[in-house]
Amino acid sequence: MSDLLAVEAIGVSKTFGSVRAVNDITVRVAAGEVYGVLGPNGAGKTTFLRMLFGLIQPDSGTIRVLGKTWAADGVGVLDGVGGFIESPKFYPYLTGRQNLEGLALLDGGHRPGLLEELLDLVEMSDRADEKVGGYSYGMRQRLGVAASLLREPRLLVLDEPANGLDPAGIRDMRALVKRLANSGLTVLLSSHDMDEVEEICDNVTIMSRGTVAFHGSIAKLRTMAPDPGHLLATTDDNRVLVLAGHHPGLRVVRDPDAALVVTGAKPDVSAYVAALVRADIDLLAFNQTQTPLEALFFMLTDDTTHQTLARPAELTKAFR
Amino acid sequence: MRTNLRRTILVLLAALVALVALGSAVVATHGDTSTVTRPRLERSLTTTFANLYVDQAHLQGRTLTAASLHPAAMCDKAGPANKDVGPGGDWNCLMSWTDPEVPMPPEGYGKFELNVHSNDCYTASGPSKLTGFLTMTDTKGDVVTNPVFEFDGCFDPHGDNTPTGVVFPSLLNVASTTITPDAHGKAGLQVTCGSGDKGCAGTITVTAGNAKLGTMPFHQAEESTATLPLPSAVPTGAKELTFAVHVTTGAGPTSPATLPVQGR
Amino acid sequence: MSAATTTAAAPVDATRAPRQRPGALAPLRWEVRKLRAQWRGKAVLVGALVLPVIVVVVLHGQSRPPKDTLFGRFATVNGFALALLVLGFAAQWVLPLLTAVVAGDIFASEDQHGTWKTVLTRSTSRGRLFWAKTLTAAGFAVVVLVVLAASTIASSVLIVGHQPLIGLSGQTIPATEALRLVALAWATMLPPMLGFTCLAILLSVWSRNPAVGIAAPVVIGMVMQLVGALGGVEALRPFLLTTPFEAWHGLLAAPHFTGPLTDGLLTSAVWCLMCLGAAYVLLRRRDITGG
Repeated sequence: MSDLLAVEAIGVSKTFGSVRAVNDITVRVAAGEVYGVLGPNGAGKTTFLRMLFGLIQPDSGTIRVLGKTWAADGVGVLDGVGGFIESPKFYPYLTGRQNLEGLALLDGGHRPGLLEELLDLVEMSDRADEKVGGYSYGMRQRLGVAASLLREPRLLVLDEPANGLDPAGIRDMRALVKRLANSGLTVLLSSHDMDEVEEICDNVTIMSRGTVAFHGSIAKLRTMAPDPGHLLATTDDNRVLVLAGHHPGLRVVRDPDAALVVTGAKPDVSAYVAALVRADIDLLAFNQTQTPLEALFFMLTDDTTHQTLARPAELTKAFR
Repeated sequence: MRTNLRRTILVLLAALVALVALGSAVVATHGDTSTVTRPRLERSLTTTFANLYVDQAHLQGRTLTAASLHPAAMCDKAGPANKDVGPGGDWNCLMSWTDPEVPMPPEGYGKFELNVHSNDCYTASGPSKLTGFLTMTDTKGDVVTNPVFEFDGCFDPHGDNTPTGVVFPSLLNVASTTITPDAHGKAGLQVTCGSGDKGCAGTITVTAGNAKLGTMPFHQAEESTATLPLPSAVPTGAKELTFAVHVTTGAGPTSPATLPVQGR
Repeated sequence: MSAATTTAAAPVDATRAPRQRPGALAPLRWEVRKLRAQWRGKAVLVGALVLPVIVVVVLHGQSRPPKDTLFGRFATVNGFALALLVLGFAAQWVLPLLTAVVAGDIFASEDQHGTWKTVLTRSTSRGRLFWAKTLTAAGFAVVVLVVLAASTIASSVLIVGHQPLIGLSGQTIPATEALRLVALAWATMLPPMLGFTCLAILLSVWSRNPAVGIAAPVVIGMVMQLVGALGGVEALRPFLLTTPFEAWHGLLAAPHFTGPLTDGLLTSAVWCLMCLGAAYVLLRRRDITGG
């Protein structure tokens, strides 16, 4: 079991019309690990996961799941695999429980009592006998997790499980995924959120425009991370810029919204801030723009639209 | 989704057009392959009619058998120029049968009009002089539907298609109801030749009172109408003319027709 | 979903035995279960049960029989004739519609609800799902035809009566024989109706749209009906799926003929196999990108 890869996708490509959705990607997920597939929307994560489930036929490359292939094992390749792709979908005219029972029928049954256990786990017991048509987005997401676990998978594939949930839902979903991961399950988690992956995963593949931009451990990723950036608001920005000349390791620039952005290693930034205080400049706000990994993620995926989005709301207000 | 639906409907329409084109090609190469043929109609019509005629007789309190009727029919589609094949509302069938209480007219048959469908079923309506009207009174005094006034039948599309050999003569009829001479006393007589075998031929002798005006020969295809010029001028003062038909081919009226002269 | 309440549930045991494979009938049971949960199928069945009774009562009350249709001439006075009149009418578009309501929807509704990915990530292959859906749609067609036929014949005979029937060769058919022939005539609707089931399945798989899957077979059926009624293109009639709907005429003739029935069976089978084959290939090769 230990030397068996849960997922081994080699040189996988898929083209839709003229769009190369996935271009020669290789992903290896060891049994027992929690693996992240990270990328902005449209990077090819979902297409890759669909190919894993056999929903989409790859144009080239081989995909092995728990040692099996579609060519040799047919639908048997999904034995031991559970999960969902994008937001889980159910039959709106059936109740949550009927949906799960029906899906279990397609699995060849489930362990007695498991269904109730899982409904409890996702806190859907009291709503399980209502029609899914009346469920909220978050309830369907939770039912999706229950439906996946009903197969008692060894490999759990979750595609953006926290997507579309409210902050409390996101927190709960992450806690659940963490707990599942701790139970020894192999988890393949796709996300566009670096925080989520950093918090949960051991190893990660970062996808960008259908190709692999990085793969390796989170620890390795951290060493590659750039210096963090900080937004700075003061009573006297001109003097702040002048003082920056005394700190050669730092880069201080005025950003388009008239705030100052300070980039540099943490000790240098600390020394600089201390110098500002000594110079009697009042700091109105001092905030990290992005976590280093986020910054790296946006660099790797070349996703320019996110570069300045991480500005804290209160700081923006201060400058109006 | 909306553009998908439009694409779907367009493809469906294209497929239908392609099927129609393919169908036309099939029709073009197969030619005339209709299962509606004269022999099949003739055989089916006589069987169906005989059965229903027995029903009608039964309603009248008479006992007949279909076999004793010896029905025979000759069918024709849309005149002599057309092939007797294919569905349509332009089929005529001449049918004779034997019922001592309802003798055939002199020509020996009654004319039925048929609307034949492509599904090998037809609706036939009979000559009311021989078959009666829409409703009839049965022996109990109830008004019931007359089974042979109008009736439906179907025949086997794979059924016997060898000609039945039944032939009836065309019936020549005097169609004019009056004679209208012009200033010179010239006039014409309209005659029709009904459906049947070989059309109509013979002579018509015209008399005014005791004076014989002459004879007119005629030779007509079946299902045609012609105006025959009178052999001589209508005598001044003649009030009516009598036309005696003598047929050599086909059948004609047994008694002479007397028509009034107008306009003089 | 608070973490504190759920730690007791350890849903996964990594060392357990491989899962049991679903039986061949499992997807079929699932499809039937779904069909029974939808109002659509029930509504069609109730309609097939109730509408014939209404039609029979209304036609029975007519003073002038609808004599431009086969058996219409005696429909107001003879129950068997009325049951055959309704049969002729049903064959025009009702039967294709009744089967298409389920068959045209059964694949496309997975697209509508986005549930292909839900069922195809379980342990059931596309091929098994295809046959389960096909059998469910065909089974529904059989049930709805039986209900419609039973309701029509029973209400016709009970309301109008069971007088001897005048057949299509003018022959008089005694009541018991007439009942047998009328039931048999209704039974001969099954092959072309299943042909339309297969057509609706193909359209359902191909269009991915329930509206197309339901409406298109009815429209195509009416076009075929029209083409079949035209003079001059009768060479096409053997290839039309609507022609077998008229094959029962031979049963009511004397002597009865069954040539059109065997031809119709062949036509229906060829249509069905071609449609199912195309639908199967489409579904097997399809990339499920939506949902």
